[in-house]
Amino acid sequence: MSAVAAAPFAVERGRAGRLRVAVAPIAGLRSVVVLLALEAGQWSEPAGRAGVARLVAQSLVRGTTSRSAERWASALDDLGAVARVDVGAHIAVVSGQALAGDLSAYLRLVADAVLRPAFDPAQIEMVRAEALAALDEESRNTRGVADRVWRELAYPPLHPFRSRPLGDVDVVRSTSGEEIAAFHRREILGRGGVLVLAGGLEARSMVAAAEAAFADWPSVAEPEPCVVPEAALSATRRRAEIVPDKTQSDVILGWLGLPRTDPRFVAARVTNMVFAADTFASRAGKVVRDELGLAYYLFSALGATKGQAPWTVRMGVNPRNVERAIETTLAELRVVLAGSFPDADLELAQDKLVGELQVALESPAGIAQMILEAELFGLGPDHFTRYPAQLRAITKEQVIETARTFLPADRYALAIAGPPL
Amino acid sequence: MTAEIAPPRLSDAPVTRTLGNGLVLHAVEARHAPVVSVWVWYQVGGRNEVPGTTGMSHFLEHMLFKGTPAHPKGDLDRLLARYGAVWNAFTSEDVTCYFETVPRERYPTALELEADRMHHALISPEETEAERTVIVSEREGYENDPSFLLGEELQAVAFSRHPYGQGVIGSKEEILLMPRDALYEHYRRFYAPSNAYVVLVGDDDARSMLDHAEAAFARLEAGAPASPLRAPEPAQHGERRVVVRRAGGAVPLVQVAFKSVSASDPLTPALQGVAVALGGSSGGSREAASGRSSRLYRALVGAGLATEVEASAGLNKDPYLFQVEATLRPGGDHRAVEARILEELDRLAGEEMSEEEFARVRKQLLAANAFPSDTVTGRAFRLGQLLSTGAAPSIGDWYARLSDVTSAEVRRAAAATFEELSRTVGWFVPVPSEPAA
Repeated sequence: MSAVAAAPFAVERGRAGRLRVAVAPIAGLRSVVVLLALEAGQWSEPAGRAGVARLVAQSLVRGTTSRSAERWASALDDLGAVARVDVGAHIAVVSGQALAGDLSAYLRLVADAVLRPAFDPAQIEMVRAEALAALDEESRNTRGVADRVWRELAYPPLHPFRSRPLGDVDVVRSTSGEEIAAFHRREILGRGGVLVLAGGLEARSMVAAAEAAFADWPSVAEPEPCVVPEAALSATRRRAEIVPDKTQSDVILGWLGLPRTDPRFVAARVTNMVFAADTFASRAGKVVRDELGLAYYLFSALGATKGQAPWTVRMGVNPRNVERAIETTLAELRVVLAGSFPDADLELAQDKLVGELQVALESPAGIAQMILEAELFGLGPDHFTRYPAQLRAITKEQVIETARTFLPADRYALAIAGPPL
Repeated sequence: MTAEIAPPRLSDAPVTRTLGNGLVLHAVEARHAPVVSVWVWYQVGGRNEVPGTTGMSHFLEHMLFKGTPAHPKGDLDRLLARYGAVWNAFTSEDVTCYFETVPRERYPTALELEADRMHHALISPEETEAERTVIVSEREGYENDPSFLLGEELQAVAFSRHPYGQGVIGSKEEILLMPRDALYEHYRRFYAPSNAYVVLVGDDDARSMLDHAEAAFARLEAGAPASPLRAPEPAQHGERRVVVRRAGGAVPLVQVAFKSVSASDPLTPALQGVAVALGGSSGGSREAASGRSSRLYRALVGAGLATEVEASAGLNKDPYLFQVEATLRPGGDHRAVEARILEELDRLAGEEMSEEEFARVRKQLLAANAFPSDTVTGRAFRLGQLLSTGAAPSIGDWYARLSDVTSAEVRRAAAATFEELSRTVGWFVPVPSEPAA
């Protein structure tokens, strides 16, 4: 176990089975936040099998070889703890919170689920039925439809990000118990992941609890890294889908992002903030919402993943204002591309991103998220001391260059879902 | 073997000071992060509105971001963004609240901004018109959600006289007609030190936080006390039902609500236990893995009748609702789900829980109250919420009340609440879509 004191909080590291463990003790708290990131997200799905990762992840918490689904659920609730499982672009995350005194018991339950899931056929059918119901629900939900359409426009067939984590109906229907078990063995047991703990326990106790819980990680060969060919948007693609009996249109305007490990990623984060990340502090939101009153919300997001995750602007707009809101957003993008924004916009974006780092310290979840990003992408033990300076060092020229490289105003994917326009 | 939850520390009790103008200040130290969370709570919300101007408090909340003479529109947004603040505002049935969590060294500025807009908001006719469409857009976003559509109808049916029946955001028609001068009058009437209080939680000495707040707010005039509410809800004498048929939503919903008690009622802590026993403390569906031992999860989701179920006992100033909502599987049977919900409610009202089940419920109840308090923002919100509704004078006091709840009290609270005479049932029934033109 090596200790690295890095401002603004101390992180200690260790290993537990196939997990890299990073813990941050926070004096005075009663609970511990847990983030277990498994290298088993969409990135790991076999080509054409969108939805398998989520079926596997959800099936983990449906009983183990030693506890039925009911017993496992009761044991978790006995602790008063919370847990959820989310599948993202390249990881599946088991996240939750437990009282500090219960951390060992909590991690034992999580480890039981991750290492020894029962994959009981009846429980798999329940997971499948819920996934199909969710897909059905999302097919009438403007945000869900816009997300589906946008991905279909932006990514080529068989790309892992072409579908949402919920997956495709046919895959969800056809995935067998054997396929689920094989994915679990290969991608979860074989690849492992990162466990982050932040909260009111000493570092040594947290690392020891993790080691004890995951010590008997089975010996499984690590599979070859997944290789995903680079994708590109060669032209603007646009599609509107009508969702019946809705009042508002959801709009997604977006591009393909860049890996978190790309040296240009920090510049991309600053560019995102200058352009549209915040409804009030960024250029697009200020004009679309504050000056023109066209939308209640408008924000952009750039995912930190291994690959080209979506870099999208999302807004909720009355159908009659859709075209104007899109045009206004693109006009603000052109301002960024031309470099004709004031220096104050860049300073504001940098101040906000640096300030958020300090404010995030108020929450164990905020600290855990920062550590998770650093650990997943190997940003280095001194990342937290270097990162604010990295944000501050981004120049206006880098913002312009990043926007020109990744956010061309004449090549984007545009999805609109809602009432007829 | 589970650990007992450590009770809140002494520092969870607020240090309180009342200014000459009537403004009450509460401060709690939280030293684990270099931030301070500033919250200003106004005793005005949906319950202070009358038909014709529903949504006025919420509309006004938006206008408080549109500038003062000292801080023109955009100033506040830019300043808070520059600090990396977590900030927002919300309006509920009972209160309107503004908050910002900022780096420790910035909180005096946050207090100055709040004191400034307590008395000097411009609410100009031009900005009122510009914001009107934003608020309509907010409402239209909600209208895309079947749960909102049904919930709004159910609330209107459940309350015959009390303004809780009007909800918070207001009807689209009334938002469109809302006169600027009426908004300004609402502001003058309710935004005053004598109708507000301030909560500060963070990394400074409690008395220092109070001193900073006093320096910011003491110069403001008290204002006239807001008149008390005059529309109590009469007793309900039979079940009420509402059905919403829309194409906008693939999933059927069932909502069941019962007239309940105010947050300050002695029954309230036990009703929190009832909600946890029925629905868990964190939900038990979709991506959530906790809460699946709850009675309604097992009866509905576990049995394949629904995909999600929630139970909640809201904390409100006046008697409000105990609510259950189930999201059915596509094509699900409303009648069967409603019957199953009522069966479980009757069972909880009729038989005391086993020791094992009650221990689980109690642990969830207490832990769910401990987790949010481990963030500075969450602790400030929780304290303000308890104070605003009269539920408790401190987080520690609220914890003690929850901790004292017994299994027998949970049963009695369920029996006292789940009466057919005070029940309102809502169904959201998806209908086939019109073919697209």
